[in-house]
Amino acid sequence: MKSIRDYKGISEQGDLRAIEAMAAKLKGRTMLHVNSTAEGGGVAELLQRIVPLLKDIGLDVRWEVMKGTKPFFEVTKAIHNSLQGKGVHITKDMWDEYVAVNRENAERIKPDADFVVIHDPQPALFIDYKKRGIWLWRCHIDISGPDRVTWYFLKNIVERYDGSIFSVSNFAQSVSIPQFMMQPSIDPLADKNIELSEEEVRRVFERYNVPTDKPILLQVSRFDPFKDPLGVIDAYRLVKKYHDCRLVLAGGTATDDPEGERVLKEVQERAGDDPDIHLLLLPPFSDREINALQRGSTIVLQKSTREGFGLVVAEALWKKKPVIGGDVGGIPLQIVEGATGFLVHSVEGAAYRIRQLLMNPDDAKRMGEAAKEHIRKNFLVTRNIRNYLAIWLSMEHRDEKVIYI
Amino acid sequence: MAEAEPFRFHECFALIRLTGRRASDILELLEIIKQVSKGSIFHHMHQYFIKSYIVPPEFPNDFAVWVADSLGEQNLAEGLANLNPFEFENIEDIRSELVRIITEHLKNYPMPRPVLPGREFMFNEGVTMVLPTSITAATLHDFARALREVDPSSIYFHFYEARLRLGKEEDDFTHYIDECLECPGLARRIKTMDPYMYSTEVLRDKFIRIIEEAL
Repeated sequence: MKSIRDYKGISEQGDLRAIEAMAAKLKGRTMLHVNSTAEGGGVAELLQRIVPLLKDIGLDVRWEVMKGTKPFFEVTKAIHNSLQGKGVHITKDMWDEYVAVNRENAERIKPDADFVVIHDPQPALFIDYKKRGIWLWRCHIDISGPDRVTWYFLKNIVERYDGSIFSVSNFAQSVSIPQFMMQPSIDPLADKNIELSEEEVRRVFERYNVPTDKPILLQVSRFDPFKDPLGVIDAYRLVKKYHDCRLVLAGGTATDDPEGERVLKEVQERAGDDPDIHLLLLPPFSDREINALQRGSTIVLQKSTREGFGLVVAEALWKKKPVIGGDVGGIPLQIVEGATGFLVHSVEGAAYRIRQLLMNPDDAKRMGEAAKEHIRKNFLVTRNIRNYLAIWLSMEHRDEKVIYI
Repeated sequence: MAEAEPFRFHECFALIRLTGRRASDILELLEIIKQVSKGSIFHHMHQYFIKSYIVPPEFPNDFAVWVADSLGEQNLAEGLANLNPFEFENIEDIRSELVRIITEHLKNYPMPRPVLPGREFMFNEGVTMVLPTSITAATLHDFARALREVDPSSIYFHFYEARLRLGKEEDDFTHYIDECLECPGLARRIKTMDPYMYSTEVLRDKFIRIIEEAL
């Protein structure tokens, strides 16, 4: 079990001092997190890391996971897509299912704590069962351009909370409750990010039959059209005219996602029989393997055309890799243009920046050093802990803009 | 020199609150600047000094940066960047000056086109969380030593935040050095600095140098 003390020498000292001071004020108080999955997905991954650390600093923390029916998760996926602007109509029957499953779960979980954090739309109706405490709705998804009808209904629910938290300023909406910004974070001590020996990195590349004889371009992402894997292959082909390199596209198997299977097939066709393109279908929980692939690559790509936050960018930057990423979602917060990587808007832009970095390895190295420092200062899990505690305290001093801890 | 209560250094960090208000062109920016809270104006004029940057933005306030980077209106950006909050006694006066600069620009130049979705100016506010430190100073010698030790956020809090946000007549350092350490000459030198031209780290070095010269 990791302790907050393990982050000394890694995280910002100021963050650790603030956590210690605020934890002393909140010691023994109760905190509850509710989300919809125990594992898989960014929210579960973050909670797996922060809940033990919140306990370690003296809070009485509970993390509960919803139990849903298949129709319920179809409804919440439709709500999710609709909030991201994909225009799915939510029918009355669908809302009824949503209400019923929220009720069953709230009766089972009994959401009672001093500070309650409800993650994403799935358990949002837990607010009907609030008896006491401060309740926050934590939105992890991009709702900057939602379907207006779906948002109308959800807004009526959200505005009954005491406050809300968003990952990016642009995701905020005009609501009557306080809205805070909290960027997601990576854990430097998790398997996905921890230091690995060169030997371990080498073994992973061997296991996946990726020779390390040439510069390696890597994109880690689901086979999803918004991650633009076809555009990555096209960019690689433009670069290949000038530089002998390899491309690794590493993603999940996506067997339960018909769209993912279709995209994977298109990617396989586009890759053809090029021996320097490696499509890796990683099983779930391949954190150490992803870590090794990132560490062994020369340049990391995240050429998304639409993105939530894109925390995989921070993971690569932490490993001192310059990242070339799409100028969407949370990626511009992580890539400081020309300093930790480059933001691109086209296949040609990606190809140009890859060539630029391959031609100038000293620049790439310098960017990698800056990249790690940028992540250390802004995107480590201790910053999330600090901000949760600060939001809690600030909600207890609602009208104050300067709060003495 | 009279016995003085030691100066206790505080450090701080900012929690960001979102207003949900966004401007996609210069007229919207102008209208919202007129309406937002004083806290929002302060935040966008000062967060440069409390954030950690790998590469600092070209200008020290968010309005100038957005006008330059997103609207591409360098002329107006330069005007906004040149606004020195140190010359103003309160945030309402800074708001009026922002409105004046933008309005003057609109009288003389064609309106730039709106930005693409996702590039809007998002109006935020800061909640400042303040922590006392164990670092104190009761003499000028102590003061120079303490300045070397404290977190840069301490410089931010006692210098920028104290004067404009907490509504004090002068920053905490100048006040203490003038009133408690009875060094009015040194206090005057600090007052004549141009603090909006420096990061907090550089400002710290300048303070230390001025104090050491006085010693």
